Amino acid sequence: MLRKLFKYEFKATGRVFLPLFASLLAFAFISRILSVFDFQQTFPVFISHTIYIIIMAGMFVMTLTVMIQRFNKNLLSDEGYLMFTLPTNPWQHIVSKLLVSMLWITASVIAAVFTILIITYKAGAISETIRGLSLLISRLSEYWSVSASFTIFEVIIAIFSTLTSGILLIYASIAVGHLFSKHKILASFGAFIILNTLAHVLVNLISLVIKVVPLANIHISSYNFANNLPAIQMALAFGIIIAGLKSAAYFAITNFILSKRLNLE
Amino acid sequence: MSAILECRKLTKSFGSKTAISEVDLKVERGQIVGLLGPNGSGKSTLIKMVNQLLTPTSGNVFIGDKKPGIETKKIVSYLPEKNYLNDWMRVHEIIELFSDFYDNFQPKKAYDMLKKLNINAHDKLKTMSKGTKEKVQLILVMSREAELYLLDEPIGGVDPAARDYILETILGNYRENATIVISTHLISDIEKLLDYVVFIHQGQIVLTSSVDAIRDEKGKSIDALFREVFKC
Repeated sequence: MLRKLFKYEFKATGRVFLPLFASLLAFAFISRILSVFDFQQTFPVFISHTIYIIIMAGMFVMTLTVMIQRFNKNLLSDEGYLMFTLPTNPWQHIVSKLLVSMLWITASVIAAVFTILIITYKAGAISETIRGLSLLISRLSEYWSVSASFTIFEVIIAIFSTLTSGILLIYASIAVGHLFSKHKILASFGAFIILNTLAHVLVNLISLVIKVVPLANIHISSYNFANNLPAIQMALAFGIIIAGLKSAAYFAITNFILSKRLNLE
Repeated sequence: MSAILECRKLTKSFGSKTAISEVDLKVERGQIVGLLGPNGSGKSTLIKMVNQLLTPTSGNVFIGDKKPGIETKKIVSYLPEKNYLNDWMRVHEIIELFSDFYDNFQPKKAYDMLKKLNINAHDKLKTMSKGTKEKVQLILVMSREAELYLLDEPIGGVDPAARDYILETILGNYRENATIVISTHLISDIEKLLDYVVFIHQGQIVLTSSVDAIRDEKGKSIDALFREVFKC
């Protein structure tokens, strides 16, 4: 069922994002071609750059808008009458929407980086970048033996777990807003602020209690950085655990409301 | 065999307003039941609780002895009083969605009915009139081989000609052992279909009876009885 929900969620959102990516790509190419033909930054180049930047900004705004819309409209308004009478569990709706949102955010970042490369491309630039990156990784590996790749892996996990907790925070806020019979949107904003503050307070308390991670003591200068590697890895691990805990809490709130307190009007 | 639908002391309040109050109801299998009551009597609220779209304030719902959940959603086909279709899909895409999620959905049946009503499966839902969307929804719901059909105001928004077709559709797709609950206040239109009636007023069941019993014992049509019970 999860796979089917994922498929329809992808379909429903893809019709927004795929044309956006296509137009971003198109304007990156146009900008590139125009700047090849005349080296002075003239009016057409300016226009095409501006459109490119507007699409890029629009793309990131859309990731947020679609994320909220799909949860609020597809589950908690009239469309919810269909979604919640499908033989699926509420958690499957949450997970499918979460995964698809993460997918589009990641794709947007990749599209942004890729099109920037198109616009700024110079002969040999890419191979040079790759060479630089691999040099960096091998140097880091020399410093830390095996743990460099592990650190990179940790960073990626940290980014995605933070993203997950961010999206689930928004879902939980909308779900809490749904509990109110009036001023649902206002209540959702309130819930967002309260949940966020609560999480901050709890995280601070936890770090005070554990004191395992002296976060403030990490200095990011090259030498210290190498020496402090275990501390960095600890900090990353701590961050991942915290994001995981937050995600679990937000997920539990959302799932509880959708399965036990649903009231579609 | 257990009753297909049972409510025990089912109550739903919205704030201080009670929409459904301690309803006890048992619907046996294999009949067409009219859930009849004036506007705002709690018909939709009751049906929505059976579908888990509303959470009861207290009391319980059982569908074939099970509490509402995945297993009951597989056997319940629900037509809401609202339009629940999104507007970006085409009719054939929504049919694919139904075939994907419901094992008991019969796409062929749906396409046949669409054809009969001159609805193009490649049309977008966005371009359709309210009445046409209602027809599409009814077709989707009746193309499932469910055990319990819950039809909330199925004929409210369509013209009398389509109304006849819809009622024929409901009857034509009716299988022995399946149960249909139709909520409406347009009684004269559906009277001839019904085996059993449930009168609901201000959130309470005021009468349950077989249609034959009403005709034989009281010598009245359902419509006449309704007008009498709910006289303003």
